[in-house]
Amino acid sequence: MTEVHRDADQGRAAPAKPVEEEVITEENVFDRPDETMAFFPGQVLRDGYVAAALLIACTVLSYVFPAPLAEPADLAETQYVPRPEWFFFFYEQILMFFPGYALISFGAVIIPTVFVVLLFAVPWLDRSPHYSPMKRPFATVTGLLVIMVVVLNMLLAISRVINFPQG
Amino acid sequence: MIGRVKAQTVETGKLLADWIEDRTGAVSMMEKFLYEPVPKRGAWLYTLGSATLFLIVLQFLTGILLLFYYVPTVDHAWNSVYYIMNEAYFGQLIRGIHYWSANFLMAVIGLHMARTFFSGAYKAPRELNWVVGVVLFLLVIVLAFTGYLLRWDQDGFWASVVGIKIGSYSPFIGGYVVNFLIGGDVIGPATLSRFFAIHVWLLPAILAPLIGVHLYLLRRHGEFGSEFEYTERLAKLKERQRLEEYERRYGLGEEEEERRE
Repeated sequence: MTEVHRDADQGRAAPAKPVEEEVITEENVFDRPDETMAFFPGQVLRDGYVAAALLIACTVLSYVFPAPLAEPADLAETQYVPRPEWFFFFYEQILMFFPGYALISFGAVIIPTVFVVLLFAVPWLDRSPHYSPMKRPFATVTGLLVIMVVVLNMLLAISRVINFPQG
Repeated sequence: MIGRVKAQTVETGKLLADWIEDRTGAVSMMEKFLYEPVPKRGAWLYTLGSATLFLIVLQFLTGILLLFYYVPTVDHAWNSVYYIMNEAYFGQLIRGIHYWSANFLMAVIGLHMARTFFSGAYKAPRELNWVVGVVLFLLVIVLAFTGYLLRWDQDGFWASVVGIKIGSYSPFIGGYVVNFLIGGDVIGPATLSRFFAIHVWLLPAILAPLIGVHLYLLRRHGEFGSEFEYTERLAKLKERQRLEEYERRYGLGEEEEERRE
């Protein structure tokens, strides 16, 4: 048996054998990172728990709240008020801030496109060597603002749907 | 006797594993993947990525099963979905899982993305994995949008009408977008066929290999965080310093007490 195999038997990543009773001082604390764990079983088990919970939730929900199916599409009907799915609520709500023909393309297409382009560029926009969210406040605050805008608009849309069920 | 059977079974198993290892390399690959070092901290947060993968796999499986009954024509689409919900064996369960796992998927993808963003996991050398992830995110959004019309019920139909109308506001290319999506002058049979083809063939065919790229890049650079994770060592250092401080302050007192006794 090689060294690697014996370590693998103990369910531990190969080279990360700890130095016995190392005294950690201010000087050597950053010498090497924390001990890692092997992907199996630590991470695999946690992944499995979450997957099982999701599968059970989907199974229960599909009988308690069956997937909706409204009346068949009636192309002649003109009074029907369509509702997007909940994950598009915030988008529909944002459109309300851009009324009229001149503005709507901003809210509907241009701003989302710019946002997506910026999203692609995130790794090159934030090139600081820090990882901690505390040490790169601009990225963190921007991210929190985006989440706030999405959540607030979602809440606005939900309150609108509750207040005006007929549109 | 039973010992001999046991030994022979083990022997056969080993032979089989050796044969597979020799011909494919699958065993050593498995070993490499299973015992890859991952950071201890963040293990629960890292389940978001695997949960996304799991939900997408559920989407593929239940989607294939739905295709057994679903008919993508204007006349039969709604009826076939109604049949799935009320008549087909486990139809309600299969469509329910497809529906609910899609809803969970949107939430879990958002959380997965937020985790990546706030932990700075997109930084070098993982920039391209972030880019692939954003593409996957957009593909899932379009999948969610195109799936809504396939029911051909009032909700899905009119929401899609609104969605296509929003697409028509794209500057310069609005007309082309609408033409591409509708496939005619009005939303009708051609539109349903297109949304079906996009939802069932085009997007999954792009999605699946990109997931492979996403996972390959993940493995190539290793799971984020292990190379600069010092939390545990810092905690140990703090604990030791605290103990020393305590001993410095009160330790002497204890010794004095002992002496008095």
